[in-house]
Amino acid sequence: MKRIMIDKDRCNGCLNCSLACMAEHNPAGKSIYVLNLTDIRNESRNFIALDRSGKPTPIFCRHCGEPECVIACMSGAMSRDPATGRVTYHPEQCAACFMCVLSCPFGVLKADTAERKVIIKCDFCGERETPRCVENCPNRAIYLIEVSEE
Amino acid sequence: MKYVIIGASAAGINAAQTIRKLDSQNEILLISKDDRVYSRCMLHHVIAGKRSLDGISFVSPDFFTQNALQWIKGTGVRDIRFAERRITLEDDQSVAYDRLLIASGASASLPPIKGLAGAPNVFTLRDISDVQRIGAAAQAGKTALVIGAGLVGMDAAAGLLEKGLHVVIVEQADRLLPLQLDRTAASNYQTLFEQAGAEVYTGVTITEALPSGNGGPVQSVRLNDGTVIPCDLVIAATGVRPNTGFIKDAVLTMNDGITVDEQMQTSLPDVYAAGDVTGRSAIWPLAVKQGIVAGSNMAGTSKKLTDGFTAKNSINLLGLETVSLGLVHAPDPSYEQATLNHHGVYKKIIYKDGVVHGVILQKEISRCGFWTQVIKEKLPIEPWPADIFDLNYAAFYQIAPNGRYQYARAL
Ligand SMILES: Cc1cc2nc3c(=O)[nH]c(=O)nc-3n(C[C@H](O)[C@H](O)[C@H](O)COP(=O)(O)OP(=O)(O)OC[C@H]3O[C@@H](n4cnc5c(N)ncnc54)[C@H](O)[C@@H]3O)c2cc1C
Ligand code: SF4
Ligand code: SF4
Repeated sequence: MKRIMIDKDRCNGCLNCSLACMAEHNPAGKSIYVLNLTDIRNESRNFIALDRSGKPTPIFCRHCGEPECVIACMSGAMSRDPATGRVTYHPEQCAACFMCVLSCPFGVLKADTAERKVIIKCDFCGERETPRCVENCPNRAIYLIEVSEE
Repeated sequence: MKYVIIGASAAGINAAQTIRKLDSQNEILLISKDDRVYSRCMLHHVIAGKRSLDGISFVSPDFFTQNALQWIKGTGVRDIRFAERRITLEDDQSVAYDRLLIASGASASLPPIKGLAGAPNVFTLRDISDVQRIGAAAQAGKTALVIGAGLVGMDAAAGLLEKGLHVVIVEQADRLLPLQLDRTAASNYQTLFEQAGAEVYTGVTITEALPSGNGGPVQSVRLNDGTVIPCDLVIAATGVRPNTGFIKDAVLTMNDGITVDEQMQTSLPDVYAAGDVTGRSAIWPLAVKQGIVAGSNMAGTSKKLTDGFTAKNSINLLGLETVSLGLVHAPDPSYEQATLNHHGVYKKIIYKDGVVHGVILQKEISRCGFWTQVIKEKLPIEPWPADIFDLNYAAFYQIAPNGRYQYARAL
């Protein structure tokens, strides 16, 4: 399976990855020109946090081999596809119990800001060959690697 | 070789799936009283009318065929003869096994209050049949009395309020959700529930239920302060007991539930147990993990339960979300506390010598998952930051060559 590798030293916090993610998941269209940045419904699945020395740190879903979010999910909404290794969220199943938010060991997950009813979760950009965040990082701070299933 | 699994819920289903992943050949048979697979944690959504019974399944409809699983459903196990490796079902069928998993969960128990047992309008909330019986008794405008303001009681109360009933909650502790919340967080729920029309009594006990004649429905309950509360139905939510009634053979070691080691093996070879039946803290993620560990060992791949941490709860009632981890109160003055309370957002962190022992986050729980790890692993936070509520995983960031995140010990 593929995973987004992170080279924290190369990240300068330009947020191109987050904008790319917002544009890719915008129901109004995928072009960056239709992305309304003031609409709280446009949320990024990844985020750049500052570590304690103020250094930008990319925090992206790992699509874990034994995902805590899936183990904790009591509705079947979070599941891992053994064939692709992707951990996928199905909002129509979700009971909004937020056990997954509490259980992701890296604090990746959150509920949507506007309604606090569904989970904002990386889907590896579905059919896309390369996730849009990876494509848009100008610093090669995030890139794809092939890893064995774990 | 034949695997048999008693119970088709969190533990049993995950065990079956794990065995099938590791062993594509041998027969796997599940036996359950339940005649469908569903998430008990969502039963209150059915009471509220927000979900159908099909809507609370946590597996896909073709789960059993996809994983080539046999399933005897709607029939309970009556007896197990471990020496012969044989199970007798309630319908007198006899089933042989080579490796057995007992994942029969737990049942709700009634509190020992005079007048409750046997009354036709007194219910617990654990199975679909409970929901169907509650549904038949619960009509808008009626008064439902909920005994116990733990997670199940509060779920039931929320479901009944949403269905339009008048709800009275009685809790003997001094607040709602006493095991999960402190006073501030609990009182925020109390306000919400009262605004939704509920009546809340805390710090009181019920001394007796007053039925109408012998074996008739409960019409009111009396509290220890003398108050009499009339009601049309009663939901008792005061705790669960492991389902071990069908184990009559004394060769199996028990404590509160079935005793297991960290591989989920019982005191007998080839007999495993997982989930609420082990009598450990009865939460969904632990049942799933125990099921995965048991299934793996049953299929010959050694695996240990490395994570028994269960002091974690996520609550989302009447649109207010709260998570609670570890301690709710500082046990003594040597612990310090950081709190934040504004615009309905409430946060509290209990710590000592840079180690966090308890976290409560209300209304703002985004990306809080790293706290579970910090508390579980007792990761020291040094130096203590100016604003502890700004902390996130970046403070612990470390990445393995395969791209997995890890936790850097020191900051
Ligand atoms: C209303 C409610 C809300 C909850 N909310 C939460 C929550 O928000 N978060 C959380 O972490 N946990 C929650 N829980 C707890 C959670 O549901 C349990 O921890 C979990 O279901 C345990 O799974 P299990 O597989 O061990 O057993 P169970 O889910 O109890 O399943 C037991 C299985 O065994 C079968 N069985 C029982 N006896 C027999 C027998 N004699 N013969 C054959 N089969 C038998 C049953 O039919 C069933 O299939 C909630 C529980 C309830 C009731
Ligand atoms: S959300 Fe968290 S636990 Fe789930 S796959 Fe992503 S990193 Fe792993
Ligand atoms: S919030 Fe939804 S996806 Fe997350 S654990 Fe609960 S049901 Fe599963």
